[in-house]
Amino acid sequence: MLRVSLREIRAHGVRFALSVLAVILGVAFVAGTFILRAMLSDTFDSIVESSLQGDAYLRSVATTSDDGLPDGPPDPGAGFGGARDGIDITLADEVAAVDGVARALPDVQGPIVIVGADGTAVVNGQAPSLALALHTDDPAVDLVAGEVPVGPNEIGLESGALDSSGLALGDTTTVVLGGEVREVTVVAEGAYASPTSGATLAFLDADVAAELFAPDGLVNSIAVYGEDAVSQSDLVDAITETVLADHPDANLEARTGDDVRAEASEAINEIIGFIGTFLLVFASIALFVGAFIITNTFAMSVRQRQREYALLRALGASPAQVFAVVLTQAFAVGLVGSAIGLLSGVALVDLIRWILSRFGMNLTGEAPVTAFTAVLCLGIGTAVSLVAAAVPARRAALTAPVEAMRDDVTVTEKSLRWRALVGALLLLIGVAATYVSVAVSTDEDPYWGLEPGPWLGIGAGAVLVGMLALSPVIARATLGVLAAPFVAAIKPLGRLARGNVMRNPRRTASTAGALMIGMALVAACTVLAASARESTTAIVETEYRADFVVLSATNAVPAEAVTAIADLDDVARADALSTAPVELSGPGLDPTATTVIGAPPTAFGTTLEIETLEGDLATLADGEAALHTSAALEYGWQIGDEITLRTDVTELTLTVGAITNSQALNADVTIGEDQLAELLGPAPANVVMVGVDGVDGVPLTELGDQLDAIIEPYVVVTALTADELVNQIADRVNQALVIIYALLALSVVIAVLGIVNTLALSVIERTREIGLIRAVGLGRLQLSVTIVIESVLTAIFGTVVGVVVGVALAAAVRSVFADQGLSVLAIPWDQLVAIVALSAVVGVLAAVWPAIRASRLPVLEAIAQE
Amino acid sequence: MGRHAAPVSTSPEPADDPIASARALTKVYGAGATAVHALRGVDVDLGRGRLTAIMGPSGSGKSTLMHCMAGLDTPTSGTVEVDGQVISSMSQRQLTNLRRTRIGFVFQAYNLVPTLTAAENITLPLDIARTPVDRERFDTVISTLGLGDRLTHRPAELSGGQQQRVACARALVAKPSIVFADEPTGNLDSKAAGEVLGFLRRSVDDLGQSVVMVTHDPRSASYAHRVIFLADGAIVGELHDPAEADILEALAALGEAREQDAS
Ligand SMILES: Nc1ncnc2c1ncn2[C@@H]1O[C@H](COP(=O)(O)OP(=O)(O)OP(=O)(O)O)[C@@H](O)[C@H]1O
Ligand SMILES: [Mg+2]
Repeated sequence: MLRVSLREIRAHGVRFALSVLAVILGVAFVAGTFILRAMLSDTFDSIVESSLQGDAYLRSVATTSDDGLPDGPPDPGAGFGGARDGIDITLADEVAAVDGVARALPDVQGPIVIVGADGTAVVNGQAPSLALALHTDDPAVDLVAGEVPVGPNEIGLESGALDSSGLALGDTTTVVLGGEVREVTVVAEGAYASPTSGATLAFLDADVAAELFAPDGLVNSIAVYGEDAVSQSDLVDAITETVLADHPDANLEARTGDDVRAEASEAINEIIGFIGTFLLVFASIALFVGAFIITNTFAMSVRQRQREYALLRALGASPAQVFAVVLTQAFAVGLVGSAIGLLSGVALVDLIRWILSRFGMNLTGEAPVTAFTAVLCLGIGTAVSLVAAAVPARRAALTAPVEAMRDDVTVTEKSLRWRALVGALLLLIGVAATYVSVAVSTDEDPYWGLEPGPWLGIGAGAVLVGMLALSPVIARATLGVLAAPFVAAIKPLGRLARGNVMRNPRRTASTAGALMIGMALVAACTVLAASARESTTAIVETEYRADFVVLSATNAVPAEAVTAIADLDDVARADALSTAPVELSGPGLDPTATTVIGAPPTAFGTTLEIETLEGDLATLADGEAALHTSAALEYGWQIGDEITLRTDVTELTLTVGAITNSQALNADVTIGEDQLAELLGPAPANVVMVGVDGVDGVPLTELGDQLDAIIEPYVVVTALTADELVNQIADRVNQALVIIYALLALSVVIAVLGIVNTLALSVIERTREIGLIRAVGLGRLQLSVTIVIESVLTAIFGTVVGVVVGVALAAAVRSVFADQGLSVLAIPWDQLVAIVALSAVVGVLAAVWPAIRASRLPVLEAIAQE
Repeated sequence: MGRHAAPVSTSPEPADDPIASARALTKVYGAGATAVHALRGVDVDLGRGRLTAIMGPSGSGKSTLMHCMAGLDTPTSGTVEVDGQVISSMSQRQLTNLRRTRIGFVFQAYNLVPTLTAAENITLPLDIARTPVDRERFDTVISTLGLGDRLTHRPAELSGGQQQRVACARALVAKPSIVFADEPTGNLDSKAAGEVLGFLRRSVDDLGQSVVMVTHDPRSASYAHRVIFLADGAIVGELHDPAEADILEALAALGEAREQDAS
């Protein structure tokens, strides 16, 4: 029987080609994800290695639970593994005096803006620009050229940064450091042992850095380098016995370098794990869509060979043996596909690496293919193929021996009743679950103990699968409507094409099903993105009432600039919103790291117009706090509850006076600027935004010119009108969307391959029929047009159903996340229409090859085909 | 011409006004040692408004001759003329157009497009050519064939005989110059075969069609005005207005002649 199976593959290899390709694409994605994950992990490990080279570290004991990552924007100084208080920088001297310690270097670093040779800021995508203290004979940095910077007007640059800045040693340039613009000379080029993953790094005189980044004399940690032959643990013991013993109240801890590096790696790997999971979701979609191609291929091949299987059965083969014949083919398809897919995955990662390196991010090492990755990929590809072929194989196995005697293969289409029933049931369950999730999330008195998330997931899944099951049932009617214009306009080809797509609704539906899933996701993303854009811009438009909003690309508007703006004669108000990392606690919440916003209470109603859900923002003037609704919901807090904010400096207990759903105040907690100043002590506040109102009667353009003149030296600071701000935010949503679209594109591409596959196979299946209509006078071009119409109908069918499902699901998702920023449902009709139009184009493209094949069939041989 | 008791090798007697004719027609499949000479210099004229039957043993080249004369296949050498047009040198595009407008076909089986109804199948060549359907002709053909109550059915819902009649209707409705039918009754029982052949004969007698058919069945051949015998790619004889018995006799004689040849 094995021979029968393999002969068939050899004889009809081409038929399986696209199935193999589908497996290849899906598996390549999976393999690529795993390899990339391993590579990123390697890369970041070596970055950790080279940036944390100390033999031991002194730091304070973590004050918050070690449960992972801060919710706020990652603060480069905070590090991982829970928030820690700063420690006194002078401890470095004490540590240095300990026996066995060679050097003790406090960790001081902070943001910097470097102006490159071309006059623009040196930035590398989203990667940060950091300035670090460089010591003489710094053990972590290799001084490639020049001298260690001395004094406030010298800097060093890391090799990569030097490269991308276009500067050379000895050049002078401008930097923004600690809110001030400075002229500096580049005096050093430093390098780390491993690539820097795109961050732009600069080096400062250690004292200058300490003054700038540790004004309160506190640093995150002190790196300790031992003398040769002193082990890491001995070093830790020595420090514990001396420094720690001398400061029993300082809450210090000493850890070995290996421990700290392992901690950092672990935290980074967690993030990489998230990225991997995110990519794997798309990989599974691609594989799922690919499975449709396999199912279709095997269903058609089984149909064509029905007589052959009947003959085998008549000759005494058992159903199990026939089943095995088909599954063996599926096994071969899966194995070959996943083997090539694995190799393609390696190539894919190499490509990604090359692209990343063009953007200044170098990944280390070869693409590592572990035995685990290899086995997993081969297993997944083969399993998907086997599962996808199981139903057609069962059909082959159940062929009655008597079929062999029949003259023509009877086209026994099983009734669709079961599918209709199961589909309708699933759809119903899906709709119900979705309804529950929406109801739960919008209920005033929330949670009957239910979380909306899982229900939404179940609902969306059931709706999708239900629609897949139902699609052959609705195919006839829908295709009839969709085909009407073709039937009317292109006689008689439209009718022929309609007949072809409607004759086997099951096949048309499963061909379109793959596209349906891809398009449902595309449509859902489009609607959600439009809603996010619309919601954000709606809020931005209502909230930002200032004539101008001053922002910085580094999220830190220099203090100098803020003062200069406020001092302008034509400026009536300059309200600065600042942020600071704090520890938040309150009823039922242990101290948790978060970000707090400080705002001048008088800004509300003037430069900011913020609607409260409850309470009043005026209470900020009385020292109360405002909560964001997401925090209020998460922690279960209400107006009148007392919450506590703590920093290194002090601790404040505030009453909740307002709850908002604001875009401008997007941190958990907002407090008055005075309270923030109290929390921060001597450290400067980080100004994220300044709302500027002009004096009445000053033309906006003039005010704009004045602002531009002030902020121009800071390079990364911009003054935007409300409209410009809206556009900028919309752009950011679009950028995020591009990545998602790119990932979804793969499943759409596979779905298109599915259409090519089905068309090509149905051309083979219909060879005689094609010969016949060619014999009665259908021209080649006409035949091609017929196939193109079929393809377009299939593509549009899948897309229309997918878009309807996608829009419906997106609407549900929108409702569930209404209070997390998706306040408006926006359905971008023009884009949805464009998607459908695009699918028609896709249909035409998919038909090219099958149409050429069909029109090349020699008429006579086609008719004679058995 | 009278009836012949045995096939007579005739030099092709040019009919006054043939609808289709072949001259020195040869067809070779393959090349070298494995070459198959399916037709070895056939000269034939097919009469206008006549039902011509072609008979001969299996592999004698009947189908090949039909295909070459119908523009479905290109001959190796020789010329074919249909309704005054030399088709042996036509391009594929011209041939497609010729098939669409001048030639009708009935195959042994698998004649109909399964997704179209009987009526749609019948008008398919006209639809393809974007020619309006001549209602009168359509009705005549339908009523002659007795298909009136079957027009909305799909092929799968029709019996084999009905399917062949639909195929005949399709071949005739566009008023082609000539209809070629390759074993049109091969799959039918004698009653159904009778219906189809009776119709073909009537379409010749009543509608003035020219029809050529291949058959193995002497009974079927007896419906023809003229029977041409083919053996080993050459015409070996013919009968005019034969009775079934004449044909049987002729076939027997042919068989003996071949056995003698072989010995
Ligand atoms: N495509 C082809 N390639 C090679 N040889 C062919 C081809 N088609 C036909 N032949 C050969 O040409 C010869 C004539 O075939 P043809 O089909 O014309 O016979 P026929 O008289 O129609 O036979 P039957 O009564 O069995 O249908 C046969 O020997 C056949 O093997
Ligand atoms: Mg034949």
